[in-house]
Amino acid sequence: MATFPALKTKAVAQYPASKAIRFQNQVLRFVDGVEQRYRDSAGPLHRWLIALNELDESELAALEDFFATNEGQFESFSFTDPWDGQTYTNCSLAADEMDMIATGEMRAKTSLTVTENRG
Amino acid sequence: MSVFPQLGPGGFSQFPVTKRRRTRTVVNPAVDGTSIKLADPAGGSLEWRLEYRGLSDAELDNLQQFFSDMEGSLNGFTFLDPCGNLLAWSEELNNAVWHADPLLALTGGVTDAMGGSNGWHAVNSGGGPQSMIQTLNAPGGYIYCFSVYGQAAQATTISLLAGSQSVNRTVDTGWSRLSFAVVSDPTATSIAFGVQIPAGGAVDLFGPQVEAQPAASVYKTGTTGGVYEGARFQDDTITYTTTDVNRHSTTVNIFYADDL
Repeated sequence: MATFPALKTKAVAQYPASKAIRFQNQVLRFVDGVEQRYRDSAGPLHRWLIALNELDESELAALEDFFATNEGQFESFSFTDPWDGQTYTNCSLAADEMDMIATGEMRAKTSLTVTENRG
Repeated sequence: MSVFPQLGPGGFSQFPVTKRRRTRTVVNPAVDGTSIKLADPAGGSLEWRLEYRGLSDAELDNLQQFFSDMEGSLNGFTFLDPCGNLLAWSEELNNAVWHADPLLALTGGVTDAMGGSNGWHAVNSGGGPQSMIQTLNAPGGYIYCFSVYGQAAQATTISLLAGSQSVNRTVDTGWSRLSFAVVSDPTATSIAFGVQIPAGGAVDLFGPQVEAQPAASVYKTGTTGGVYEGARFQDDTITYTTTDVNRHSTTVNIFYADDL
């Protein structure tokens, strides 16, 4: 299985990095005001916003190639959470669009959102 | 097909360059949180936003004339990605896009110049030189720079090929980057880039790269290649500002879709 590419420093993300944990619960509210809540999924799903700056052309090309090879959000890959080192084996990119901006030589930036898939 | 013009010193763009790659995926989300996805490989597109500053009169005239010839977004042209490696499958030298002579044996998995394992060991067991090339449908008359990393157990002279031109370069022990800048034949409609290894020669190769500019930049991996035939201007209007004598600025947006 493919793996999300690391930068030359071997890091996957840079500051500021964002991570979200999403549960999927349902709430039934009754006429008397009380609520009944229940889980509507097997567990939480994770999402990481990988915003990268000061990339060189080689790093940017590797990320673009990863995006193209994955066909955007289509393919799944393995992603290691940079916060705790846990590997999530079923992840994909969240969007079919990737923006890359080169502001100077060896000064490029982009961002990708990685989302954990269910099943 | 018409070709997007190079600027005076070579190259297609200035910083900043913005590139957007789009793919198309049909997603059918299910209630249980799973989803069924269907890729649409033909639904991809690319966009470039090229911002020019300090263009000379001649460069602006050239760009304006090209825009007029294309009638804005009406007609397609060949565009060479200014951000990428024009060669496809730059790390899979056994891919079908590469043509290797029959007595040239290629073995992958060699530790490369970047510390990965994407280098290739090339051995010529024949009695004459053997080459490995990739042909690009890139325009003639342009400045190209072909570069590749090489190393050998003992110093070996190999040839870098660019169309009908070649140059000898010495591959030493330890990775070094070899490059060859050429102005291609103006009448050519395609140009082949590659390396030629002498009889009995054995070298490690990594990271072949072609760029439409006078010198090599940082190596960029790529599978798709960077020659886009059928690209178009995204707009029907080009606006430019003259900031001084012989100094102009403008921005153009280029669009390429796989299905057009």
